[in-house]
Amino acid sequence: MHDSRQIEQAAAEWLVRRDRGDWSARDQQALDDWLRAASRHRVEFLRLQAAWQETGRLQALAAGLPAGAVPPRQAWSLGLPVARMAHARSDAATHVARARGWRHALAASAALAVVGSAIWIGWQLTGRNEASYASGVGQLETVTLADGSTATFSSDSRARVRMSRGERDVELLQGEAYFDVAHDAGRPFVVTADGRRVIAVGTRFSVRRDPQEVRVVVTEGKVRLDSPPGADGRATPVSLLPAGSVASAGRNGVLVRSLPVAEAERYLEWRSGFLTFDDTSLATAAAEFNRFNARKLELADAGVAELRVGGNFRWANVDSFVKLLELGFPVRAERLADRIVLHSR
Amino acid sequence: MPTDFDDWFVREILAHERPLTQYLQRCWPHRDEWHDLRQEIYARVYEAAAHNRPVAPKAFLFASARHLMTDRARRGRVVSIEPMGDFELSNVYLVDEVSPERWAGARQALKRLAEAFDRLPDRCREVVWLRRVEELPQKDVAQRLGISGKTVEKHLAKGMRLIADHLHGGEPLHMDAEHARMTTDEDDGHARQQAD
Repeated sequence: MHDSRQIEQAAAEWLVRRDRGDWSARDQQALDDWLRAASRHRVEFLRLQAAWQETGRLQALAAGLPAGAVPPRQAWSLGLPVARMAHARSDAATHVARARGWRHALAASAALAVVGSAIWIGWQLTGRNEASYASGVGQLETVTLADGSTATFSSDSRARVRMSRGERDVELLQGEAYFDVAHDAGRPFVVTADGRRVIAVGTRFSVRRDPQEVRVVVTEGKVRLDSPPGADGRATPVSLLPAGSVASAGRNGVLVRSLPVAEAERYLEWRSGFLTFDDTSLATAAAEFNRFNARKLELADAGVAELRVGGNFRWANVDSFVKLLELGFPVRAERLADRIVLHSR
Repeated sequence: MPTDFDDWFVREILAHERPLTQYLQRCWPHRDEWHDLRQEIYARVYEAAAHNRPVAPKAFLFASARHLMTDRARRGRVVSIEPMGDFELSNVYLVDEVSPERWAGARQALKRLAEAFDRLPDRCREVVWLRRVEELPQKDVAQRLGISGKTVEKHLAKGMRLIADHLHGGEPLHMDAEHARMTTDEDDGHARQQAD
């Protein structure tokens, strides 16, 4: 009568053994034999395996928590900002974090003096660091933040950065920024854009704010994406984004694509001066160029907007892009002082 | 060797464990057989569906459950049919509509997972966290906690079963003496275990 429980236990033991790290081809053979021996074995194995895989999502709860310690029960702030939990740190840790914060603040000032080109609007050392950054059209700015993280701002972007003892908050007001986050498990690094929160501990990712959506690209580590409740008051899903994720959070929810990291990095080629298109509509490609250039591309008709383009282009060189279009596509360019209008030919 | 069919089975059959369990609990008077019944139903559905995948998996699952209970009752494995509930399916759909956790979005699923995790006994909970969240290899987990590799394995196997019960079913179906103690008196029972 209690066979079913023995089978459940045996299935659990198989899964644990497979998880142990010394799994051999012979073990696999033995497991396959066991699974084939009875359907009861197979279904119980599938049942436990599915639940076990699901536990990987516990990592979404861990984003922003200090590593190495199991959090107390019910510590989950599923609806609240995770950053709040950082206050549970010990005083000693606070001291260390503060000392490190100041050291980095000094380093950051030095870096800024050298970089020079960052437009530095404000820096108040009143117990917490606050700074605003802005980049002009066609400029990229890389700055070292007070905690030692670096941020690369894309063309025409603005952000406000607040560093306190418990939190590192970046509010992306406009444009796009790529972050290489200094590891500090006690202080989550939170980027807010249009109500969405992107939470990381130590990782590399970018956040881009468009009128219709917020896009997150992760190239290393993991980040967590929280969205505000929808217009109907229903909670929206929390997404855990591993490296290679390209997430687009719009009005209708969050679309996550999982790509090889190398492919995800193509979304960030702007940092080295390039825009990469692959079967991209000219409408989208033109919008990308326009992020980087004061002289805008305009599309005169729907026919030209629907052309598909591909390749690597220097975003600073809109003229050569337009020349290539004229050579390879039925496109006629009308070059005006402040813009270039593309027509179907 | 996970197959498409296995994925289908998890998604379309195991997803209904909660209403299925409630159905068994209502219809079958012998609680010590619930676990066994459920497993046999799954096995039957798995075998039948491997040949011919049903278009209405959930209805198929409940029909299989009803057939199995009828078979067992007929074979005299229950003394009296009287206390058995109604095998009719009419209530089942209602039950499922009241508890649509599986479809209530990722945040809800995460909440459920957090609950399942929080119900684990202390040491078991620690082991699962270190292995699954911090991704320490089993032997590093053992080292970190100062316990043997075998003990880590035991905790992981237990954690797996308890979490599966909670995630799939919502209610543990562990009714034999040993498990009943484990689930109702988890922390005390565990404190003794840890003291060993």
